[in-house]
Amino acid sequence: MENTRELKFEQPSFFKRLKGMLGVDFYRLFHTPLFYIFLGIAAIIPALVSMGAMGGGAEGEAAEATAMFTNAWQIIAAKSPLYVINDMGDYANMNMVFIFGGIMISIFIGHDYKSGYVKQLFTTHAKKQDYMMSKTLLGAFSMVCMCVTYMIGGMISAAGTGLPFTIDAGSLICAILGKMIMSLGWASLYTFINIIFRAKFGISIALCFVLGTGIPVIGAAAVIGNSSALNIFLYGSSVYACLSANFASVVICLAVSVTWAVIYNVCGTLILNKRDCY
Amino acid sequence: MNAIEIRNLSKSFRGMFAVDNLNMTVPQGAIYGFIGENGSGKSTTEKLICGHLVPDKGSIKLFGKDYTDAGVRARVGALIESAGCFPNSSVWANLMMQALNLGIKNRDEEIKRVLKIVRMEDNARIRFKSCSLGMKQRIGIAMALLGNPALLILDEPINGLDTDGMRIMREIIVDITRNLGCTVLISSHILGELEKIATHYGIIRQGKLIQELSAAEMDARSRVFVSIKTPHVPSALTVLQRKFADVRYEDECIRVYDVDDTESIVRCLLAGGQPVSEIQKNKVGLEEYYIELMSKKEGA
Repeated sequence: MENTRELKFEQPSFFKRLKGMLGVDFYRLFHTPLFYIFLGIAAIIPALVSMGAMGGGAEGEAAEATAMFTNAWQIIAAKSPLYVINDMGDYANMNMVFIFGGIMISIFIGHDYKSGYVKQLFTTHAKKQDYMMSKTLLGAFSMVCMCVTYMIGGMISAAGTGLPFTIDAGSLICAILGKMIMSLGWASLYTFINIIFRAKFGISIALCFVLGTGIPVIGAAAVIGNSSALNIFLYGSSVYACLSANFASVVICLAVSVTWAVIYNVCGTLILNKRDCY
Repeated sequence: MNAIEIRNLSKSFRGMFAVDNLNMTVPQGAIYGFIGENGSGKSTTEKLICGHLVPDKGSIKLFGKDYTDAGVRARVGALIESAGCFPNSSVWANLMMQALNLGIKNRDEEIKRVLKIVRMEDNARIRFKSCSLGMKQRIGIAMALLGNPALLILDEPINGLDTDGMRIMREIIVDITRNLGCTVLISSHILGELEKIATHYGIIRQGKLIQELSAAEMDARSRVFVSIKTPHVPSALTVLQRKFADVRYEDECIRVYDVDDTESIVRCLLAGGQPVSEIQKNKVGLEEYYIELMSKKEGA
């Protein structure tokens, strides 16, 4: 052919590919309202929870009797690692961010498939592994941001309701750090679920919601009791990052989160490589 | 070097072969017209080349390397079915995301460059969902052109476009091949349009490539004919059929095949007392060639 030219094909490194994919995902994250809506939800929910937990408008002794929180930081994490739910006070804390994160990731990945954008990505040098990793990191980042807005919202509402803020600072930091670290594991689980159901993000949202609420672990706890063996699950470790947490709790959260993230990423990559992207 | 080399490629869906032992070669720098009826396997083949589908068996090589090679894939652009853009994001944002994915350094400049090629410079800030079909197709091409691709795969890019849209699209494709040295694989049902730009053709039927030829070969194989318009068709037909071997009445005119000497035809008609209102030399086009090939295969 007369217009044939000498072609050079530069091999993009793994980091260059991942950087490109992360660039796309973060650009999209910051340029779509979805992320900001979920940040807002994460900030508002603790206010609603603390209002409800303070006795729903009751006054005096009646309010004290119905109050589920005795300390402001219980909005962030439970007092002790209880997998068996006794009341909403044990349950309604920063772990709820993981439910919002699941819904957000489902919508995010679902739109990738629904719009056909995923075709554009995979036509180029992007590998399926890059996609899994990028979405996991993006989801983890979003959930960490939601943890921050949840904490801000929670503290403002706790101050408004007059709850005391006295706490062991070390345990509190470990609890918050543990929960933030767990975002990585949760994000990988949600990414995995979503690449299975793809454009059918209604199913993904439902499944992410069920797993995010920790129903399977709560159910298991009801049968086997409050066993520390449940810490091997994402919800178990998330509960373990409580107000009595210490450095060991953070290490456990890190180990569980990273292990599940690796497992889900490997499985997700295998599935993506074997299946058509439609 | 060949831009695409496919050997024994197969892909089935629920036991039905959409692509069946397909062999195909697209030379570098070609505009390869990929032709076939609905469901013949054109889009499936293109999706396989793009890596959207996983083949059952066979090999695909792009510029001599395996089609999964990241280096080669970075130089492939595609418009398969639709542009694959986020409807609520602007044209610019959609292009920016693809530019980020490709790791392009001067992203703003590159986006401006591709928008200029597809003549969409003034529409960069509008939302993708507000664009017309023709604009969406052009945005799809702009997206495929990011990062200076060596291979463009376009699936029915002119479908649904008006005459002006088709002309613009045709000019864009020719421009990018001539000026950027890009190889283009293009499938279309509008054979008349394809004929104006393609340098090579591949005809696919029931998942198999039944013919592959260059435009020059196609030209050589095409039968010449002279078309005549006359007020007395039956008598003119009789006169011509006495002298020439293949004379038919088609498309409201008489066609004398395998003859390009108009003078002898006019002389023959005048000698037989038949007036001639119009006479023209012609060649069988791609569309007729394709129909004839298909009917032969059906008969076989």
